[in-house]
Amino acid sequence: MKIAVVGKGGSGKTTTSAVIARTLGRDGHAVLALDCDSNPNLGISLGLGEQATEHLVSVRDAVDAGEQEHASDADDLVERFGADAPDGVRLAVVTAIQNPQPGCP
Amino acid sequence: MLLTSRSLDSSPRYVFPVTSGQTGLPGRIVRAMRVAFVGKGGAGKSSLAGSFARILASQGERVLALDSDPMPGMAFSLGVPQTDAGLPDEAVEDYEDDQGRRRWRLRTGMTGPTTVEQYAVRGPQGVRFLQLGKAHGPRWDNTRQHAGFQRVLDDLPGAGWSIVGDLPGGTRQPFLTWGRYARTFVVVVEPTPASMLTGRRLARLAAGADAPRVVVVANKVRDPGDAERVSQGTGLPLLGAVPFDPALGDADRAGRALLDLHPDGPTAQAVRSLVAATRSQEESP
Repeated sequence: MKIAVVGKGGSGKTTTSAVIARTLGRDGHAVLALDCDSNPNLGISLGLGEQATEHLVSVRDAVDAGEQEHASDADDLVERFGADAPDGVRLAVVTAIQNPQPGCP
Repeated sequence: MLLTSRSLDSSPRYVFPVTSGQTGLPGRIVRAMRVAFVGKGGAGKSSLAGSFARILASQGERVLALDSDPMPGMAFSLGVPQTDAGLPDEAVEDYEDDQGRRRWRLRTGMTGPTTVEQYAVRGPQGVRFLQLGKAHGPRWDNTRQHAGFQRVLDDLPGAGWSIVGDLPGGTRQPFLTWGRYARTFVVVVEPTPASMLTGRRLARLAAGADAPRVVVVANKVRDPGDAERVSQGTGLPLLGAVPFDPALGDADRAGRALLDLHPDGPTAQAVRSLVAATRSQEESP
């Protein structure tokens, strides 16, 4: 299944997403949790911890700064912009490119 | 040259210098404030910004409250019945630029101040309220409204007007575009890791921008140590703290302004302290 969680700021999107992801993980599903928020905090709610969450953001920021190559495909993205969270959930930070170059899809 | 918000004899306290230079006149000089509230979604930006604007207005200042968040929020905390107060179509006109591209500008003859005068909604205590304009549906095109709002930001009413802005949650563009009028950015932070992480990101963004003052408000604090934790956790100077207050939740549920339901409760008192602290910040060199 593919689930997207949306809503107003502060209404509980991130917490809800994390609980769904870990519950599915505990039930034995392979789960990929995508943090599409421009202010990505899903790592904290998944239980990844503050440092690891912030590290993922800094890797993501390095792309905007031109210090890190864009992912070549989806697997590369999940590998390089992701981390393993509890209950077998794989987290990846996939916020939109801020200033795409012409030709960037 | 000086402008006064009202005649000097009746209210000598409020004298607004057109520039920030010294004056030789007696009386306390109050420089109109330009404040923008930022922070994580749900941290309490709208609640604090709306209360802040009304308290400022109740102290005799002319206040323009700007809601740059496409989600409604500030209308409720201000107590303005109109939750969608974007510019009407007639306020904005299109034109072709040098390259033949279609652009938007304020209607011919209109400026930022006249647009505010004509279209900003009148709220309690004389606060004027203008919004970016809300998203109405998948096919709603609000480019026109948004462009008009931007032109007002480029040409805000000057001397005598205090500006209080409520910016979208998160860390994307607030410092660089929507909040470009602010002299003081107030980062609203709860004593939680996610909220403090957001505060740190905003502090980093501010350092990269042509940053004005950036301060933090510890919101929904429960322990005496929370405010200091928030200041240390974000690396930002503490403007003040607002206690956790169930009355705020009651006001939210009722869709009412906190200042109308609990004008003397702990949150209202804390926001009055924030107003005073911001004033002394903006008056210091």
